[in-house]
Amino acid sequence: MSDFVEQCRSEWRRLGVPDPLAEEMAADLASDLAEAETEGVSAEELLGTSAFDPRSFAASWAAERGIIPEPPRRGNARRRPLVLVAFTGLAALTLIVAGLLLLTGQPKVSLAATRATGAHLQSPPAGPFVPSGPGRHVLAQASAAAPVEWILLFLAIVALGFAAWLWSSWSRSRPPAATAS
Amino acid sequence: MLDLCLLAVMDEGPAYGYEMTKRLRDRGLATVGEGSIYPLLGRLERDGLVETYRGASNGGPPRKYYRPSSAGRLALALGVSEWRAARDAVDAVLAPVKIEVAS
Repeated sequence: MSDFVEQCRSEWRRLGVPDPLAEEMAADLASDLAEAETEGVSAEELLGTSAFDPRSFAASWAAERGIIPEPPRRGNARRRPLVLVAFTGLAALTLIVAGLLLLTGQPKVSLAATRATGAHLQSPPAGPFVPSGPGRHVLAQASAAAPVEWILLFLAIVALGFAAWLWSSWSRSRPPAATAS
Repeated sequence: MLDLCLLAVMDEGPAYGYEMTKRLRDRGLATVGEGSIYPLLGRLERDGLVETYRGASNGGPPRKYYRPSSAGRLALALGVSEWRAARDAVDAVLAPVKIEVAS
């Protein structure tokens, strides 16, 4: 029976339940199990089928007390990996595109900001794309300032790092598999 | 339904976890099923339907005792009323049924 309590304690630690609350629940559970054993009552009679799954039991108890967030619903659990896959795919695609642009050297484009103020308003140089409005951005050819390829590459690397962190976070938050003891 | 039963047995007098299980068993509710009473007690506590305190047990370590709060007693009264209405309705449907068991 103490093994059951220890597994619960371990699960509470993993879930980030504050130590005083985990100790309180562990002490109450251990006392009840010990008293039940003295009276010839099995753990299964006291805990139901939870007696065979200490991790789920511990998580359920902590969640119902409001100590940890409720486990995500199945719908959210299904949607989250899809969003992650899409995000990771987009980041990887951006990385590939940026890499190809850098390797081929085509096209050489950059973002260059121009200031537009009353008297100094001038027509922008001819280029492939000229949006209107103040502080407009002009997509100019072959500028040495902040080439788009490098910006794309940087963004892709940052996005992939963020995706890796999201995947890691997601795998840690998945409910534990049922374990028989 | 089990939460209603828990409120009912602790309304008889403050009780700790295992003590409530014994009271339920004494009334024939021996199997608590999948969830056990502990998560339910946690939910009742979170919802403010029970009050808790630490108290001595018979020769054992201090235990966490539960008793219904005023909101818990109101929930118990409403729950019992709903349960009785539902039970009467089902009884009315099932009453005419005659069961014959072939031997």
